Amino acid sequence: MRRLAVITALAVIATATACRGVGDSGDLGVYTTVDGAKQIDATAPINPFNPQGNTFLGYDAMSLAWPKNDPVDPNRFYPGLAASWTVTPDQGEVVVHLQPKARWSDGKPVTSEDVRTSIGLAYTQGGTAYAVDPKAAGAAADVKVVDAKTIKVTQGANKSNTFLRNVLSTVIVPAHVFGGLLPANFWNTLAAARGTGTAAEQAKAQITGLAQKVISFAPREDVSAGPFVLKRVNPGEALLVRNKYFYAPENIAPDRVKVLNYTGNQQIWNYLISGTLDSAPFTAVPSAVLKRIRQTQGNEVLKGFSPVAVSLAFNQSQKPYDNVHVRRALAYLIDRAQVTRVASPEAGIPAQTTTGIHETSAKSWLGDGITDLDAYRVDPAKAVQELEAAGMTRQGGRWAMPDGAPWKVEIHVPASFSDWVAAAKSITSQLNDHGIDATVITAADYPLYLDELAAGKYGIGFWLMALGPSPYNIYQRVFGPANGWQMLAGQLTHAAPGTQGNWMGSPETVDGVNPGVLTGELNVAGPDRQREIVGTLAKVTNRDLPIIQLYDYVNTQFVNSNRYTGWPATDSDVLRLSAGVWMQLGMIKKKVDR
Amino acid sequence: MTATQTATVLPAPASTPRRNFWRGVVRVLRRKPSRMAGVVILVLFAFLGVFGPMLYPSPLPRDDNALYAPPSLAHPFGTDFEGTDVLALVVTGTRYVLLAGLATAVITVALGTAIGLLAGFHRGRWDTVLMRLTDLQLTIPGLPLLLVLSTVWKFTSPLEMGVVLGVLGWGGIARAVRSQTLSLRERGFIEAARGLGLSTRHIVGRELLPSMAPYIAMNMLIAVTGAIYAQVGLFFLGVLPFDANNWGVMLNLAVFGGGALTSAAALPYLLAPLLAILLLTLGIVLVVDAMDEIFNPRLREE
Repeated sequence: MRRLAVITALAVIATATACRGVGDSGDLGVYTTVDGAKQIDATAPINPFNPQGNTFLGYDAMSLAWPKNDPVDPNRFYPGLAASWTVTPDQGEVVVHLQPKARWSDGKPVTSEDVRTSIGLAYTQGGTAYAVDPKAAGAAADVKVVDAKTIKVTQGANKSNTFLRNVLSTVIVPAHVFGGLLPANFWNTLAAARGTGTAAEQAKAQITGLAQKVISFAPREDVSAGPFVLKRVNPGEALLVRNKYFYAPENIAPDRVKVLNYTGNQQIWNYLISGTLDSAPFTAVPSAVLKRIRQTQGNEVLKGFSPVAVSLAFNQSQKPYDNVHVRRALAYLIDRAQVTRVASPEAGIPAQTTTGIHETSAKSWLGDGITDLDAYRVDPAKAVQELEAAGMTRQGGRWAMPDGAPWKVEIHVPASFSDWVAAAKSITSQLNDHGIDATVITAADYPLYLDELAAGKYGIGFWLMALGPSPYNIYQRVFGPANGWQMLAGQLTHAAPGTQGNWMGSPETVDGVNPGVLTGELNVAGPDRQREIVGTLAKVTNRDLPIIQLYDYVNTQFVNSNRYTGWPATDSDVLRLSAGVWMQLGMIKKKVDR
Repeated sequence: MTATQTATVLPAPASTPRRNFWRGVVRVLRRKPSRMAGVVILVLFAFLGVFGPMLYPSPLPRDDNALYAPPSLAHPFGTDFEGTDVLALVVTGTRYVLLAGLATAVITVALGTAIGLLAGFHRGRWDTVLMRLTDLQLTIPGLPLLLVLSTVWKFTSPLEMGVVLGVLGWGGIARAVRSQTLSLRERGFIEAARGLGLSTRHIVGRELLPSMAPYIAMNMLIAVTGAIYAQVGLFFLGVLPFDANNWGVMLNLAVFGGGALTSAAALPYLLAPLLAILLLTLGIVLVVDAMDEIFNPRLREE
């Protein structure tokens, strides 16, 4: 009997403990959220270089600065581990001054040596400011420790105006934990890799050969310079507790942060409906679900600029999409407002026209110039004119190819993107209404979709674009590698359609303009020249239509004011940063009446 | 006396046993109203499969101003994300589901029966080889294989779908038919057939197969339900091509696009294909119940 009582008591305790797991929102001082960038993998290392790593940007993973969500200027930041910085006008030299009080969670100070080690580790991963190839645009040429809290990073000869952004976005890790990953002669090897010849190639191979070692490195415990440090992680959640050495503890209201795991958007919706989350990053939500989320006490929806748009991209190697009249005809037949209403009524706004730029940015870049562009409003009569100009024929009420062969429009989308599937279905319905035989074809997943798209298997596919705010990044999506223009070792080359990943296959020049060269120039041009180029590229995009811009995304986020207040306002420039950064900036406060 | 008896038997019409059989079928069906309901359901779905697409204009009309409209007289199951009548989607989608289900069932049963009969009747090396092949087939994980196949094969036709599901599903029937064959081959009538020097083809085709026909027919119907679940599941997972009136695609879009598990707006869009699957399965189960009694003398009440 006594044994039974003990078992019962243990069962009650276990049940009570279990009930305090995921979804427990009544715990004072706990801030509950989800990580929009990844799902939790409890077996992943505590390592920010690992894509699945159990570090959370803004909470226990810190970069030098946090980029503001500016529609136009990519070089505006909030301080992170860098208290301040200076940059020369050509971005040739960036000097970073670290937070004087910044310390790691084990009490050691954050120093320039940590930054240098982090940059060294970033070289092993390649890309952005830390490409081993010295000719790569925007690659750092030298990293010099000025003093314990100051470091200077110099850009190579092939300059890029995104250098500052790339340097300040560097995630900083502790040298006393990660430093052992870099060989003692790493910086000499890096210098050798920047040369030419066999020795340089060997040195490059040595550096890139470190990539896997860095990614798989698993420190025994989290050592963080952010406001929190990871205490434990399980398949359901990660728990972070305060870092008592954080440089601005007065700004941090919560004592702990729970990052809940999820397997799909539905789970995030359910968290939001139950009022579990204090905030959630951008999540695609159907209208009815949004309405349900709003009904939960304390829930609020924040909307802001999101530099992403979605388009219908053409493979001009496939007929009849090589003919601009066909592309224009399709643009005149697609009701973008209806597509947006069907596909993304809460997180999208119909594209005003096709410019290659998100509408919010387009207003700043083009001003009134946007009204000079063809708006491609729904106009079946114009579509007929364009199709006839392309030589398309009509047989039994259906449009056919110039040689009389059936024209079957296949629009490809990845099955996992439900808004794209709905948008594609809406477009095919509209095209069928106008005598064009159109169907939706889905790919099993996004990586497969991208592979098949790049292999030129699709005539028309959905394509993310306008990935700003940097104008170079924006137009790279239209006149970049997918369309044949590649920047290799500082040299812009153009691959023939159907080769080297050029699946869009636009002509190299349009009305005497080489849009790829102009896009490359955006990387180095000053503000005035950038504005001029963007104007030209918007016109080329609008006239030649390598893509049809469908809708621009709206950053839709969720917060709950039951436990915390001080949320960013709608359209705030911190909306695309994690709530950990909001805390660092002193925005989030505990609700007083609790 | 014998001659007299023969004379009284001979005038009986040759079609009597067949007529008696169908009378028996009707009697068995009438005994339980649920069985008649099952037949009605199957006839209804067969009708929809054949004539369903002819009942609605193609493409199906949309109401741009009634996205996810609630159920009404005009739209008994509401509308989908682009204002298309959900009932029309279910009706026009019946053909693919039934064709794929039937194709799967035919291939499953044909392969499984042939292999089971051969293995059971011949025994020895035939049995060893065919049963190892069956073991191999049974160990192939169907769903992961289908997921991989879907990356290279688009399954645009229901017959393609049926072929793949059939080829992946015959193992169980082969084993069961082999067991039945092993049992039947020891019975007197098979011994007698052998003694008469009848060919293997005759013994298998005319003696063994008819004895197992009821069992095979019931398995075929059950295979249809399995095939429906499998194909709808694959479409629901989004690994097969999009077709707006496919029941699995409807379930996928209702859950992931409409949030049907979270809010009520898209619930009718979710429920309509679910009810169709439920109804079709129910019809098959009720008919299988009747078949069981028709073919199994021990279950007959008279």
